Amino acid sequence: MTPASVIVGVLAISLTQAAVAQEKPAAPKTSVTPSNVTQDMLNRAAGDAANFLHTNGDYTQKRYHPAAQINASNVRSLRPAWIFQTDVKESMETSPIVVNGVMYVTTSFSQVYALDAQTGEQLWYYKHPLGPITIYCCGPNNRGVAVYDDKVYLATLDSKLVALDAKTGNKLWQADIADPELGYSETMAPTVANGKVLIGTNGGEYGIRGFVKAYDAKDGKLLWTFDTIPESSVGVWAEKDATGRDMHRNIRAEKEQLAKTGDPYKTLGGGVWQNPAVDLASNRIYFLVGNPSPDLDGSLRPGDNLYTNSLVSVDLESGKYVCHFQYIAHDVWDLDATSPAILVDVRDRSGAVIPGVIHAGKTGHVYVHDRKDCSLIRFSDAMVPQENMWTLPTEQGARMLPGANGGVEWSPMAVNTQLGLSYAINLHQPMTYHVQSTPYPGGKLWLGGAFKVIPTEEQSGNFTAVDYNTGKIRWQVKTPQPMIGGILATAGGLVFTGEGNGRFRAYDAQNGNVLWTFNAGAGVNAPPSSYTVAGKQYIVVAAGGNVQLDYKRGNAIIAFTLD
Amino acid sequence: MTKDVLATMVLPALARAQTLEERAQLCAACHGEDGIPQQKTMPVIWGQHQGYTYLQLRDFKSGVRKNDIMTSLVQAMDRNEMLALALYFFQKRWPDLQQAQPPADVAARAMQANTALACTGCHQGEYQGEGTQPRLAGQTREYLHQTMIDFRKRSRGNNPGMSDLMLAISEDDIAACAEYLAGLR
Repeated sequence: MTPASVIVGVLAISLTQAAVAQEKPAAPKTSVTPSNVTQDMLNRAAGDAANFLHTNGDYTQKRYHPAAQINASNVRSLRPAWIFQTDVKESMETSPIVVNGVMYVTTSFSQVYALDAQTGEQLWYYKHPLGPITIYCCGPNNRGVAVYDDKVYLATLDSKLVALDAKTGNKLWQADIADPELGYSETMAPTVANGKVLIGTNGGEYGIRGFVKAYDAKDGKLLWTFDTIPESSVGVWAEKDATGRDMHRNIRAEKEQLAKTGDPYKTLGGGVWQNPAVDLASNRIYFLVGNPSPDLDGSLRPGDNLYTNSLVSVDLESGKYVCHFQYIAHDVWDLDATSPAILVDVRDRSGAVIPGVIHAGKTGHVYVHDRKDCSLIRFSDAMVPQENMWTLPTEQGARMLPGANGGVEWSPMAVNTQLGLSYAINLHQPMTYHVQSTPYPGGKLWLGGAFKVIPTEEQSGNFTAVDYNTGKIRWQVKTPQPMIGGILATAGGLVFTGEGNGRFRAYDAQNGNVLWTFNAGAGVNAPPSSYTVAGKQYIVVAAGGNVQLDYKRGNAIIAFTLD
Repeated sequence: MTKDVLATMVLPALARAQTLEERAQLCAACHGEDGIPQQKTMPVIWGQHQGYTYLQLRDFKSGVRKNDIMTSLVQAMDRNEMLALALYFFQKRWPDLQQAQPPADVAARAMQANTALACTGCHQGEYQGEGTQPRLAGQTREYLHQTMIDFRKRSRGNNPGMSDLMLAISEDDIAACAEYLAGLR
């Protein structure tokens, strides 16, 4: 094993400057050769124990890996197989992708490594030459790549979509997604389906107009754009949230504002932070749309602010609207929808099993929908304390729980269908919500106030299993810090997740008992993956800490296997 | 620098400046020959991130950030010239101003403000900044303090999000933050 050199201590300030950035694919040092990925492989990923082909495991995004070699009876013997140190010691959110013994991981500042998944040796390294203008919320994160055919796809902080040669790391083409100077940036991993590269956008804190775009996987040609903010964003003047609670909107004042300034759709936000789920049967995709801009000041954006804070489905081939469900109309708390959609069969209100789609909200609820029309079937017990909902923000600050990070942040859930459970990690951060009103600042930070952690109140997190057919919490494990990252479930009856204090743990999927713990030395705030090479199952996760919660930074990719 | 000096010396010199080096030399009149500003209320620009400096030049030109001298200086510059000048200064080494580290209670107050507002969520670990987010570590204490107060009063108008955040903490918190950040390297 030859780990890459390490930058320890300070951020490398040279990382992002165009004049000094380089693209340097290194010569392969091992015998493993990157292989092509077919659409059939992508379609069958849920049953592929050798690989981890999608950011969230497969197109349904259950993050359930079918390998069972590592299981509840032997997980105590799980040991590090190798540790790879990247050149970037900064927040890591990457989901490792594995294709026939080759692993692709990313770091902050949009850099990619190809590794031998058995040994951790580096095959190549792509350092994206970021432009001088990068405007983004919540850290220079990157959540990984997509793979298809002979290419690896990356979306970058300066809002580019890049296709790399899977064998060498050389750039094959690059497409401009949006203008970074207006607050657009990319931290999510793309999704590839039927020859299309799908990508959303960050920017809900900067007055963007959000979208999901589809590019031709061969040459980067734009095929369609779905604007997450329609030109008519007003909606139905909903007064209650998805759970039936009054949101205390001043509809009359909003209507007066609408008459004065018109529909605010051009700067209304609506970022898409996470991968869409792809329903291969109906050829539809399902994704979540984030908060309106400005986050806390509703006075400038009358109406429901469609389709912010919503589950949305569009047609994969055309990008045409199919259906949506809005959780919080006219949100003024940034309690938006970020954790990715998961496709799973669920029981409807009559008890019949139907195709469903579920999402975990910053509100702390798991929402269960009918996939046919996006309608809500049920919502779960609250996984975190809820207090004073929906108290409106004030200039002095109004206390309300959950805090603006959730509940469930961008962290993907995992699902075990045998147990009928979805697994979510949560934050509990008491906050006060403050409102200020300023006009659109042209791509600058536009919060419309502030959400402020109350330093004297205890923070914590939890790992929660929810029965999505009843909405009841099956088990819950409290953690000392708010949780952010992601979860992996396996056929071995296990669920894996990490914490900001460096702990990476395996839990019994049935009851939440802790079965194994490893301390990575830096925050484990990224979703784990699993794969099998030469007859051995591996669990792999990044330990890089987290910018948003200021968890200890690191630069490691750690692969574990049984001793 | 007074407006008279600007009118009689700097602007004519600016008009004659042909190269990037010559243009950058004019900046030294306030921001320092060696990167150490002539006055403590002037910011360090050596080693500051290119994206941030570019946005400030752009905003001075448009008038979104108010400063008569800076607005005059950048009026004739186009986007590429601003980016080039910003890159020139980014490639200079950040100077060590030898500012004292704060006492423990001041540092604790500053860190509590970071917990409340998540300053490092944008300004990055160790407040080193990146891209369009400015480095704060080791900036002059007086400039940091004045800037945060200006944001709080909205007299600095080119980042209302920062104004919102500064309004959510007290002026005493701001003083502690300025002292803490100045003492970092």
